[in-house]
Amino acid sequence: MIKIHNLKKSFGENEVLKDINLVINPQEVVVVIGPSGSGKSTLLRCINLLETITSGHILIEGKDITDKMNDINKMRAEVGMVFQQFNLFPHKTVIENIMLAPVKVRGIAEEPARRKGLELLRKVGLEEKALAYPDSLSGGQKQRVAIARALAMEPKIMLFDEPTSALDPEVVGEVLEVMKQLAREGMTMVVVTHEMGFAREVGDRVIFMDGGYIVEENEPKQLFENPHQERTQAFLSKVL
Amino acid sequence: MDFRFDIIAEYTPFLVKGTLLTIGLSIAGILIGTVLGLLIGLGKLVNNKLAAFPFNLYITFFRGTPLFVQILLVHFGVVPLFMGETNAIIAAIIALSLNAAAYIAEIFRAGIQSIDRGQMEAARSLGMNQRQAMRYVILPQAFKRMIPPLGNEFIVLIKESSLAAVITAPEIMYWGRAMAGQYYKVWEPYLTAALIYLILTISLSFLLNRLERRLNTG
Ligand SMILES: Nc1ncnc2c1ncn2[C@@H]1O[C@H](COP(=O)(O)OP(=O)(O)OP(=O)(O)O)[C@@H](O)[C@H]1O
Ligand SMILES: [Mg+2]
Repeated sequence: MIKIHNLKKSFGENEVLKDINLVINPQEVVVVIGPSGSGKSTLLRCINLLETITSGHILIEGKDITDKMNDINKMRAEVGMVFQQFNLFPHKTVIENIMLAPVKVRGIAEEPARRKGLELLRKVGLEEKALAYPDSLSGGQKQRVAIARALAMEPKIMLFDEPTSALDPEVVGEVLEVMKQLAREGMTMVVVTHEMGFAREVGDRVIFMDGGYIVEENEPKQLFENPHQERTQAFLSKVL
Repeated sequence: MDFRFDIIAEYTPFLVKGTLLTIGLSIAGILIGTVLGLLIGLGKLVNNKLAAFPFNLYITFFRGTPLFVQILLVHFGVVPLFMGETNAIIAAIIALSLNAAAYIAEIFRAGIQSIDRGQMEAARSLGMNQRQAMRYVILPQAFKRMIPPLGNEFIVLIKESSLAAVITAPEIMYWGRAMAGQYYKVWEPYLTAALIYLILTISLSFLLNRLERRLNTG
């Protein structure tokens, strides 16, 4: 379970997150929507400690990840992140991309790590690409490898920041399919996306962010069909 | 004008020794310079301005003053200060290394900064600490990009090592000047020296090109 209390984040004078309070339950899929610049990426990056937060607390399974006493790297390893731009390591093969962190961070031996990696590749449908370099893959394949790479650390929660926004339309489906399967298996997920179909189908809850606040949150059906806030209505009328 | 091959022949053993020393100075300079340059380059990359200051100062000094001056300073100033008396070869190696380090530090910095920010973030999000991310993700990619400019620096170093002649380190130009002084000849010694330098730099370019191609296909 993740609890976010009074989270604030500023870049210099610019307060990007203004008092975010959010609880994410185990096995829950939370979809975050909102206009550009509303702070969606920043929220995910704070949960993964890629940004140092200005004030507030983030607790993962009761442990305050913002507490300086906790090992920031251990905390990060519990949280998987999938980026819009994939960020695969281009100098390593697909299987090496996946094995690197388990071997170097968790200290798992090469062989079991490889076996686990191949298993994950099978899961995302890319077992035959194990020895390929990322440059030879399509965008959809890259993103599926990136998901497998994050899963290899056995994270307690997976964060997705617009995982399909950089993809050609025809390969968006294959990535969403992998994410749906993950959701079915009970992975706790926070997904920033413009894919409203995905939000409706897979999301347990949709959060609408605007101007650094969570303006409204509800079950997908409720939020999409019966938004209470004016800003939500205005946003949805543009994207639906 | 008669071109005296006989005096070149006479000096050949010395020129061979001189060439070996030039190669030695260059290799020592590039090795020490690379290690120092990496450290200085990393030092310059730290976020703290105050901590980065000495590294910036170092780079500014060694890039902003002539190598000629640096060699004289090291030879007549720094080395005697630490060793009591000076030694031309040691002084040449030190000066060349310190000078190369400043340029190599900039090459490292540029190489590291040319790697997309997303690479570091992906590595960190997988739980790697700063050092692991540098070692396994950033540096291997940065090194590949550093090879062409590093190769250039190596070639520059071979040529500039000729300045060691003025502090009597017996490398190629030292013997060239000796030949010129003994026979009052200009073309024979200096063309021969030029030819040796050309052979060294062209061979190195050739090797570097092959290395680059190998890395690009691998
Ligand atoms: N590293 C940074 N330094 C300064 N300002 C930043 C930084 N990162 C984000 N911002 C600012 O924070 C605000 C929110 O950015 P963020 O990327 O979180 O928005 P977003 O909701 O993800 O938008 P998008 O839909 O375009 O991805 C923006 O105004 C952006 O300019
Ligand atoms: Mg964003």
